[in-house]
Amino acid sequence: MRMLIAVVSLFLLASASAAEAHAFLDHASPLVGSTVPTAPHQVSLTFTQNLEAAFSTVEVTDANGVRVDQGKAQVSGNTMQIGLKALPPGSYKVQWHALSVDTHTTQGAFSFRVGAP
Amino acid sequence: MPRPPRVPRAPALALLFLALSFTQAAAHCFVGARFLPATLAIDDPCVADELSLPTISWSKTGDVPPASEWDVSAELSKRITEDLGISIGDTWSQTRQPGSPKLSGFADLETTLQYQLLKDSPHELALLLGLIADWGGTGASNAGFGTPYSELTPTFYFGKGFGDLPDNAGWLRAFAVTGQVGYQFPTSSFNVVQGSYIPQVLVYGGSLQYSMPYLKSEIQDFQLPDFINHLIPIVEAQLSTPVANNFGNSPVTTGTINPGLIWVGSYFQVGLEAQVPVNHASGTGVGVLGQLHLYLDDMFPSTIGQPLIGGAGTPPRKLGF
Repeated sequence: MRMLIAVVSLFLLASASAAEAHAFLDHASPLVGSTVPTAPHQVSLTFTQNLEAAFSTVEVTDANGVRVDQGKAQVSGNTMQIGLKALPPGSYKVQWHALSVDTHTTQGAFSFRVGAP
Repeated sequence: MPRPPRVPRAPALALLFLALSFTQAAAHCFVGARFLPATLAIDDPCVADELSLPTISWSKTGDVPPASEWDVSAELSKRITEDLGISIGDTWSQTRQPGSPKLSGFADLETTLQYQLLKDSPHELALLLGLIADWGGTGASNAGFGTPYSELTPTFYFGKGFGDLPDNAGWLRAFAVTGQVGYQFPTSSFNVVQGSYIPQVLVYGGSLQYSMPYLKSEIQDFQLPDFINHLIPIVEAQLSTPVANNFGNSPVTTGTINPGLIWVGSYFQVGLEAQVPVNHASGTGVGVLGQLHLYLDDMFPSTIGQPLIGGAGTPPRKLGF
């Protein structure tokens, strides 16, 4: 055991590099699963790590699966934003894929509603 | 009985780590939007680049009078390719029984070869095959912590998240289950020293877990304190049942049920579980199991966090839905 710990410790030290990690969704606006009284103009996603802009995407669809976003997402640091068309009351789904700067990929999806709570 | 060839630990470890040091970086157990943490009592259903150091447990045995037992173990898991992985681990144990001398020593060295059969992202389903080898003669068999014979355990692992339930299932979608079933063959059928048969054993277990990170990022963000949003409450079970060549041995199933918590960070996780014996043969009273588990692919993404083959230099692909 002592030898195993020593070998592993030495190896970790020898291999040390700038650490990055998987980009988890830290928070979103509108909030994940929330109901907002007025239609938002954009969806903003904030992650736990910085993103690679060229390989990180998000799209927003309505209950019929029709895209209601305005196209290309804007990525800056650990934040990804996408503009929305005028949204009538209803349920919407946000799907995202993220590539953190160290090439780890993550993905997720959540819903929000526009209308009276 | 001829003693199985002893596996020299130091050269084997040195070669393994030498090989690892020439590699570059990517993943622990992600299946779609689901992250399945490394479980403490059983294994998770993914090949990965991870290090459990240490795993510490305390329990009391089912002996009369009960012996107090400490186990300290370490395990390194490394991907060879994106779907093929190997792990190596060992455990140091110490037992103290009233009226008896204190015993301590290493268990047999354990290696596991694993192959990722499936990762189905939309259904959050992971399937894995493994072959666990406990190398006889590498532990303190004279103190009862190792055996003079080796054991092979072909094992099937699975993991399933319930995020694919309909949206109206709400918070239930944060549940996931994992499990494993293995059949353990000893390389010898009779223990001459103890004068007893060595049984073949069904080794199995599972976990039921509830992911607060999944609840927050996929279902509903209740804006709970950050610490709580990193927790995965879990109940694990690890059991074994002798099923063949068990003449003269106790046929009873032994194992523990482990309720606990895992805190998941970006680079490591910490787990703490109670160990509740399923019967008296499995132990006396409630034990404790704790683990620090490091995500090597996140800590060292460009070196040992990559598979040995096919990982480095692979350009990122355009991601789609």
